[in-house]
Amino acid sequence: MTLNKILVAFDGSENSFNAVEYVGNIMKNYPISLILILYVERLPDKDLYRDDETWVSQCKKNEIEMTEKLSLAKQTLIKQGVSADVVTYQYFASCKSPFHDTDICTTGRSIGMDILRIREEGNYDTVVIGRRGVTKAEEFLFGSVSTKVVQSAADCTVWVVN
Amino acid sequence: MTSDVKKLIHKYMPDSPMSRFGKIFTDTTEFMNIDYSDVIKLGNEHFLVLKNEQERRFGLVDPKYWVKRVKHLESGRTQILKLAFYETFPMHIGPFEIKCYRSPRKEDRILKLVKGDMRFMQGYSNDDIAGNNVRVLDIIRGKRLDVVVHDIPVDHKTYFYEYFPDILEKFIGACEAINFLHRHDEKHGDVRRDHLWVESETGAYRWIDFDYAFELYENPFGLDIFGLGSILVYLVGKANFTMQTLLELGTESSILNTLNSGDYSVVIGNRVVNVKKIYNYIPNSLNNILMHLSSSSSVFYESVDEMLVDMNKSLKEIRSL
Repeated sequence: MTLNKILVAFDGSENSFNAVEYVGNIMKNYPISLILILYVERLPDKDLYRDDETWVSQCKKNEIEMTEKLSLAKQTLIKQGVSADVVTYQYFASCKSPFHDTDICTTGRSIGMDILRIREEGNYDTVVIGRRGVTKAEEFLFGSVSTKVVQSAADCTVWVVN
Repeated sequence: MTSDVKKLIHKYMPDSPMSRFGKIFTDTTEFMNIDYSDVIKLGNEHFLVLKNEQERRFGLVDPKYWVKRVKHLESGRTQILKLAFYETFPMHIGPFEIKCYRSPRKEDRILKLVKGDMRFMQGYSNDDIAGNNVRVLDIIRGKRLDVVVHDIPVDHKTYFYEYFPDILEKFIGACEAINFLHRHDEKHGDVRRDHLWVESETGAYRWIDFDYAFELYENPFGLDIFGLGSILVYLVGKANFTMQTLLELGTESSILNTLNSGDYSVVIGNRVVNVKKIYNYIPNSLNNILMHLSSSSSVFYESVDEMLVDMNKSLKEIRSL
């Protein structure tokens, strides 16, 4: 098993912080070239807001909050002993974001598939993801990012942290 | 105001026997105050309010004050106005409570997308002077699909061989309509039996009510797919089956004894989806589609496309029976 580049899927939840800590515990004494903490943006649904202004304001609020959490996750790894030189994070914006104008963005169709796309493009050896532990019925109706990643991942290792 | 309404009625409906004349509303914010004999003015169009629409569920009549049955005075057509109502309410699906939002702008957007596509209800939107989005909808003359199917006066075997193939073919068309929405990144939002209507004059299957919005991320179309699957279970069985309904139907105990937990819906735990166990002449190709909704399945449909492939294959087989 090679552990050269690790991608940690992050959504700001307690489970994803657990995944970050798990990686930190293992990697603090291990030579590694990169740990990417990745957040794939989930824009609030526009239809839940009366007008674009309120929606944009919520998008801004969410982005600030999530960027703070990403930064906190990075600090968590560093505090655990992982070198600051190898830890980075990415806020992977939505194609429909009111603030980002990028060629590479998430369509919002499947966060799991976006994670795997970035994994492949960045040649990450390992994907780490926290799991909420959803039931079969929840998975049917609402989907599960971790299940999608586990089922669709190819040519890489996946760590699922409960 | 009253005399203005009176003038309008005399102008557009000179033979009207109306004796009560209400007010003209250009701002529909306070929709509870708008009632019979009032007129809603949108741009240059006038709509005489006839009544509030009602929803009948579980034997109760629930007035929907934001949905008005109206007469469009300029054309004389009876239509429905849906006024802006930013309601948030819990939707219950099996054991789940999902926060659901009513979104005028979602319905407005879909109405534009499906304009001229008769697989969907038709209409347009206009803002009142306060900026409230009002949807002006054509009425579909017909019945809910499940009521039509329930009322077919034959036993299940006759229904399955003589009626069901045509019903399945039309339902496939209705699924393609939902797939069309998904391809445009839109969700219907409330795919259920009473939102698919059969138009009396044409026999066409037409979807209604697109204003439900949810926060769904990893599986944005999952609820729609679940809704389509549930309707299909109903259409195949000509009923929904729980242990109670099966007993009421006089189903033989030799059949009931074969039912196990894997034969029930993964979401609605008391509903049998393995309909082949009840009616053994149902072909595997069709029953396998239903089993994708069962608690014994480990593979679920992720898109309507996947369901359509299986349904079309099954229809071919059923047609050749």
